Amino acid sequence: MTALSWLRRRRWAFAGIGVLLLWGALSATTARFSLASLSGVATSASFLAVVATGQMFAVTTGGGNVDLSIPGVITLAAFATMILSGGTDAGLLAALPAVAAIGLLTGAVNALLILRLRIPAIIATLAVGYVLETATLLANRRFTAFAISPLLRTLATARPAGVPAILLLALALAAAASTLIGRTAYGRWLMAAGQNATAADLAGVPVGRVTTVAFLLSSVLAALDGALLSAHAGGAFLEMGRPYLLQSVGAVVVGGTLIFGGSATPLGTLLGALLLVLIVTTMQIAGLPGGVQDMIQGAVIIAVLAAAGNGPTRRTA
Amino acid sequence: MHRVTPARDGIAGLAAGPPAADAVPVLRLDGISRAYGATLANQDLSFAVSPGEVIGLIGANGAGKSTLMRILAGITLPDAGTLELDGRRIDLARFSPLEARACGIRFVHQELSLCDSLTVAENFYIERPQHARHPLWRRPYARLAEAGIAGIFPASGIDVRRPVADLPIAQRQMVEIARAASDPQLRLLILDEPTSSLDARRSAELQRFIAARAASGAAVIFISHKLTEVAAVAGRILVLRNGRLALDAQAGQVGIEQMIAAMAGEAARDLAASRPAGARGAAPRGPVLVEVATPLAAVPVALHGGEIVGLAGLEGSGQRPFLHALHAAARRRRVAGAACRAAAAFVSGDRVREGVFPLWTVIANATLARLAAGSALTWIRAAAERAMAVPVLDAMQLPPSRRAAGILELSGGNQQKVLMARALIRDAAVILLDDPTRGVDVAVKREFYRLIRDAAGSGKLVVWHSSETIEFLECDRVLLFDDGAVRRVLDSTALSEDAIVSAAFTERLAARAAGAAGARPRGATQAALFRALPFLTAVLMFAVIVALNRNAATLFGIDLLMGAAVPLVLVAIGQMFVVGGSEIDLGIGAFAGLANVLSATFLADAPPLGVATLAAALSAYAALGLLIEARAIPAIVVTLGASFIWTGIGYALQPTPGGSAPAWLAAASGLHPFGLPASLLLVIVAAGLAALLNAARIGVVLRGFGANPRALAQSGWSARTAALQRYAIAGGFAMLAGFAMTAINTASDINAGGSYTLLGIAAVVVGGSSLAGGRIAPVGVVCGAITLSLIGSLLGFLGVSTDYNAAVQGGLLIAILILRGALRQ
Repeated sequence: MTALSWLRRRRWAFAGIGVLLLWGALSATTARFSLASLSGVATSASFLAVVATGQMFAVTTGGGNVDLSIPGVITLAAFATMILSGGTDAGLLAALPAVAAIGLLTGAVNALLILRLRIPAIIATLAVGYVLETATLLANRRFTAFAISPLLRTLATARPAGVPAILLLALALAAAASTLIGRTAYGRWLMAAGQNATAADLAGVPVGRVTTVAFLLSSVLAALDGALLSAHAGGAFLEMGRPYLLQSVGAVVVGGTLIFGGSATPLGTLLGALLLVLIVTTMQIAGLPGGVQDMIQGAVIIAVLAAAGNGPTRRTA
Repeated sequence: MHRVTPARDGIAGLAAGPPAADAVPVLRLDGISRAYGATLANQDLSFAVSPGEVIGLIGANGAGKSTLMRILAGITLPDAGTLELDGRRIDLARFSPLEARACGIRFVHQELSLCDSLTVAENFYIERPQHARHPLWRRPYARLAEAGIAGIFPASGIDVRRPVADLPIAQRQMVEIARAASDPQLRLLILDEPTSSLDARRSAELQRFIAARAASGAAVIFISHKLTEVAAVAGRILVLRNGRLALDAQAGQVGIEQMIAAMAGEAARDLAASRPAGARGAAPRGPVLVEVATPLAAVPVALHGGEIVGLAGLEGSGQRPFLHALHAAARRRRVAGAACRAAAAFVSGDRVREGVFPLWTVIANATLARLAAGSALTWIRAAAERAMAVPVLDAMQLPPSRRAAGILELSGGNQQKVLMARALIRDAAVILLDDPTRGVDVAVKREFYRLIRDAAGSGKLVVWHSSETIEFLECDRVLLFDDGAVRRVLDSTALSEDAIVSAAFTERLAARAAGAAGARPRGATQAALFRALPFLTAVLMFAVIVALNRNAATLFGIDLLMGAAVPLVLVAIGQMFVVGGSEIDLGIGAFAGLANVLSATFLADAPPLGVATLAAALSAYAALGLLIEARAIPAIVVTLGASFIWTGIGYALQPTPGGSAPAWLAAASGLHPFGLPASLLLVIVAAGLAALLNAARIGVVLRGFGANPRALAQSGWSARTAALQRYAIAGGFAMLAGFAMTAINTASDINAGGSYTLLGIAAVVVGGSSLAGGRIAPVGVVCGAITLSLIGSLLGFLGVSTDYNAAVQGGLLIAILILRGALRQ
């Protein structure tokens, strides 16, 4: 087996190599890239990886599905956490069910629109995103305090043995997702539905349930991330979820998950998130203006897609 | 003009030969060979086809027919050999689909190459664009299409102005045939399984046409698995086996038996039906597993374990929906008229659409149905999975070396075996077969019959829909379908090919097929309502606003309302053309924002520089379309990435809102030509322009690519050119939106355009365009954009906080989609 065919089977390896190269280059060329900033990168990447893992499930259902409601869920969950917790741990007990409800309800509505009303996922999640936008606007009007529950702050910022807790969460999530996808029947069902929904249905796969679970996972993970993000960022603000749309899709694609569906790699998604955050960090260290940073981020994702194009789902006649 | 220009000296490059006389063959192949890896798909093929000759080309799957066809079509380049057309040698290196067409070669493809979303007449344009010399090309093409179809299939009842998608499969096949065969420049007509969906009457009409066409000097190659038909239509039979010519004989001199022997070699001793008649219906019946009644069956029928039950009738008489109904009933879904008391496994002969999982190995493909029968968290062990699959795959005589191979590396016949293995591993009591031997060779077919008999022998119920009547001789009973339901049951004693055929093809049925056209008006009313929905919504919205505030109906009020809508209208039109290509552009609003910045800075301060930067931006935008097409990557992610590039550029140029509108732009926005506000006029002009573009030839091609890119490529159109044009048009409209923003705000803000992206998509959907591509509705989209943008004003007049704006827009989007879904049923 040649090195190239080994890589083709493990598409996450490309993101891994990218991370190593960029990390090596940064360490070699700049003294400012310390262990502390590495931990910062890991923290940001972990927040992204949690959302991106959810997005990965949505994308893998196939047919060009993407969850566009993720930014709205993140922002609304952050607001709900801030408002309901009121900065106390007791309040957090009330906030967490609300966060879970936001995730579950959004995912359920998305799935309902997609499956029952046969609305394409992009349009369904787009419409749901609009409704969430109104909800965040209303929440923003009631939002006054910037106090964060101590417990949540600990969860979001603790570093047991120097390792950010959120990184441990992201790693555990990647391991769990890998197991679900690689070792269980659900994983097979999801990959089958993503490759060919009609054939999956005729083979007896409960395609509707598979899709529902994928969109529930996407929304719930985004909601969880939003709650933690509110503690990390020190509050909630409008549009705080916005960057996560491009970045979550970017991490999924850069990590080697097929954008056409039917093949997913949670490890790759984690590495993809790390690579994207490293790129942004590099640009910040280099002192590039914000506009140029945006341009390069966009260009990197397009370049990765272009390089990985002509995926195996494209059959030649 | 939008087509791939043929290599200039392609035809001229043919060595000039004498004008074709009767003696000069239309087509002559000499030593044509083509290898794929170690497989020799064509080996040293040499034969000639004379004018007026009808060749019947047959061969098992993998015999090399498809490769030969692809070489003649100019799609595949042979490794060796020469090709002569009308005595002139073809420069194979330059031979392309367009060239083949120019030489008068026409194909009728087995997988129909029509664009479903285009009308019949537009499909004729795609195939034969050279007759469109002026913008008023639609009427001539409608006449061309009508004449072409009537020339082969009289009284077909096909309305050439209707989209192909609205036609039943048989009529589509007739259009496919007529489109290629009616070309006056025809020299060589190649038909690949042309009668698979035609009934006896239409097949006979086609045979008469082929004979007439041959008599007038054209040559015909007729490829089919229906050997009796080949024997009837062809004057000469060519048989391919393993890439070589195995038989070349006059049709009168060879019988069906000899053809089969030549196709399959020694292995073929007997014909498809090898089951002794005495064995049919003799097996003891098991318990009742399936019961059907109205509306699926006119007479109640109970099906037992151990039976093989055939589903016969004219193609499309309800056999396939019947199978799917049983499958649904077995999965405990509520189905009217069907009850299934055991689990069912489904095997489809449509491997690509309903069978294989292309990314997986043979083993994973084979075990899926079994894994789907368990719980979601069942733990999968590789060893257990292999143990499950291997015995069944071995029983099918699949070589052990192929088990770990990707499913697509297998031949069609072997893929079909894996699908059958999937059903057997599932171990369901009921096996549903949907024409499983379609397109597989005789040897594999025979193995299938054995497997089916074995399955029934072990007590399973096999329900079998076949498109080959002879296969019903394998069955214990046959259910005869007509008009969507079981009409009669033929039991074993009554089974003979003649009995089934004569029962299926009665005059009564033919008469009904002609009468089916009468059902049209209801569909037409619905379609009209469909189209009017966005317009009605916009009018209703405006009426409510006027009712709330009389001032809205004044010139000034309209200008104010429309002015706010203009950028969204333009962005939505741009998005519509992208959606027409079955893509979505998530960067179009950001691009409008960039145009906003460029026009309020460079264009206002230094017009030449402004024009240059805008042109560069538009080129970059179109190039993005090219990239998406060339690398086959998803537009939605590419354009999402691009949105960051557009925003980044704008932000780098102008970090904070500012700039000013160019004087001419500011002046233009204040004009009131014809006493109408400029904004209203602009919306009308934009809608008209979009509608014109869509109806023009370029619009037809773009929609064609959205619906069926392969068909367009086969007809010689360039996908890359189309992608470039599509994104150039979309970018152009987005740029106009940017100008409109500059004119309205007399300043620029790079973030101003972002919100139009998602709203634009919503407008396209509300307006009635299909996200699947190929069907767009310019006026509807404009109405949709106006509706969405009026929501803000409506809420304002109602005294509702604008916070609710987004929610109402999202709700409206969902409501319209629900309404449309309801209308469709």
